[in-house]
Amino acid sequence: MIELQERTRRISPSRLHELLVEYDCKSIVDPFMGLPTHLNYLKRHGIAVHGGDLLEWFVRVGEGLVVNDLTYLRDNEVAEIVEMLPGRIYSLDLFKAWEGVFFSEEQCVYLGVWHDNVRNLRSDQQTGLAVLGLWRAFCYWLQKTQSPDDMQDIAPSELAWTYIRQTEQWVIPNMRRNTVRQGDVLATMSSQDADALFLAPPARNSFRSADARIWMWEAWWQGNPYFTIEHAYRDSLLGARAADPPAYARAIATILSAADKYPVIILQTNEQRVTDLEPLLKNARPNVRVVEPHPNEIYLIATK
Amino acid sequence: MTLFQDSGVDPRDERSVLADVLRWYGAIGDAAVGNSPGFGVRKASLAIALAEVAHVSSAERDALYVAGVLHAVGAIGSPAYRKGETLSDRIAAHERWDLPARGARFATSLAALAPETPDMIRWQSEAWDGTGFPDQLRWHGIPPAAQCLALADFFLRTNDPEDALGTIGMQSGRAFGPDFVRIFTMWFHLSGGEVETLPFPIEALPANVNAVDVLDAMADAIDAHNAVNGRWRRLERLCLGAAGALQADAASKARLSLACRMFGAGEVTQAHTEDAQFDPLARLGIDLRARNAAAAASLAEPLETLRHVSAIIAARSEWFDGTGKPKQLKHGEIPRESAILATAIAYERLDRGERLEDAAGTQFDPVVVRALIETAKARA
Repeated sequence: MIELQERTRRISPSRLHELLVEYDCKSIVDPFMGLPTHLNYLKRHGIAVHGGDLLEWFVRVGEGLVVNDLTYLRDNEVAEIVEMLPGRIYSLDLFKAWEGVFFSEEQCVYLGVWHDNVRNLRSDQQTGLAVLGLWRAFCYWLQKTQSPDDMQDIAPSELAWTYIRQTEQWVIPNMRRNTVRQGDVLATMSSQDADALFLAPPARNSFRSADARIWMWEAWWQGNPYFTIEHAYRDSLLGARAADPPAYARAIATILSAADKYPVIILQTNEQRVTDLEPLLKNARPNVRVVEPHPNEIYLIATK
Repeated sequence: MTLFQDSGVDPRDERSVLADVLRWYGAIGDAAVGNSPGFGVRKASLAIALAEVAHVSSAERDALYVAGVLHAVGAIGSPAYRKGETLSDRIAAHERWDLPARGARFATSLAALAPETPDMIRWQSEAWDGTGFPDQLRWHGIPPAAQCLALADFFLRTNDPEDALGTIGMQSGRAFGPDFVRIFTMWFHLSGGEVETLPFPIEALPANVNAVDVLDAMADAIDAHNAVNGRWRRLERLCLGAAGALQADAASKARLSLACRMFGAGEVTQAHTEDAQFDPLARLGIDLRARNAAAAASLAEPLETLRHVSAIIAARSEWFDGTGKPKQLKHGEIPRESAILATAIAYERLDRGERLEDAAGTQFDPVVVRALIETAKARA
């Protein structure tokens, strides 16, 4: 049985927004955005947001939640995603490798169908919303492998329908230009100016213990059930090159030295890592304030 | 604390007063979103019962109780509910998503609560699958106490407990974590779905917080919600001036000060303030004023340290000649504080203060009118 992590990265966008308001920041860059629901929150509150990540499905979801101002999926469009369409040829064996290991035969067929259907939508924005909704259905399945007796059996198409339909509510314009890009941290930072840089850097070697709900969905998006997340991080700044503590510290220092153009840096960490990260930030900026609402949610705010 | 000297509670017991002030404000939040009276306390009590099964620590359970009581205070001042806002349905829905975060910000500003309490308020509407609000936290990123609050809220909003049990079971892995649904089911079968109301954990409150400061912040928020910023402060100055001219004692002044802070709570649920609908001297406004006065009084009535102000607030819609509401009290039957408060409210809304004299002897006590106008002139 697959192990689902108990520890989940917690980013509280409402708290982040309070900090941005306090520092009068009206735009933000997040080069480690992950699932960009927090950027969607900030966008809804009028902040111009720019995100980046190495995993493509995060960026696709960003197209739907962050870049997208108006587009959503109507009922008939959702129906064309969640079920097999007559006349279309599907690669039904695409995720057969997961059959019996993680999922049932029916689920693997649906994964193949969804994989093909989301690639035939009319816009990147619709694709992003669909990827998010389908991911939530996928997470439900994985959760159900942990608690099979506690969770209801829901038909795959019904589950996916519910979650995709729900994505409409997050679509809203903020009259600002918002962007997402796929790329390493330095590439994202160099491409975008903003009032604040938000960093929630992954822990050292964290890609080796990534949550199955994250890496498996990238595998789904790539259409490759044998995909490993180490592959995506291979050449990245915080990938295998930053495996030992000094190399990791050097990588973080590199990021901070490249962040000179941002008036405010907000670095989110936790009590296990704050002692490593705080000195690095203090080396880069003279003023560092620590906001610690929770041991798992510590903000280091650096200003010039 | 001198404001509470007449409450019947030992004035040194600041924590009892603070607890009542928090419960009062929590009840206003509930009223603002349309919850039934006492919803917050029931929600807090059920959340505590679930948290016990979930092995949440005792200190966290105390913080959870306060979070349950204050769960809806984000509605006070929210654009989704405050007066003078015309929002589209979509924007209003987004504003409602922000209620927990607004509530958390207010709770943080009070400095009288455990540090865990604001975040429990903030994350009480998060869903296990990440589709909740405001932060869309997911899975174990949601603190257990916040999940207990979410379950309690859902259960109490469903009319039939058996239906609620079934629906919560169907939401396992979606709105609620499977472990928490199991905890809820266990609680349900042990208790039969009966929520036992628990007392406020007064001992968990700090001893050195001035309840009057907290009440002031709340009164400011209520005035902002009603789009009459700073009204209670202006009224208090007027009322205390008039009370001084009438040689009221210190206890009477204290009651009047409290009434100035608390009467606006009655208008929170109304779409408009009284003066937006009726001239303050118009007989047509009697019903509305009486309804608002009764609403504000009913919020204070259940609370031991605020109960003594309830009668003053309730009687502010009486007329001097006995034609007011709700009890048709007249002349000396109307508490002097109520007469002063009612006169000051009207005076504050009038374009010309002299018009008040036209209502002396009918709507207002002529002695109070004279004292109030003299006070106002002296200040001018």
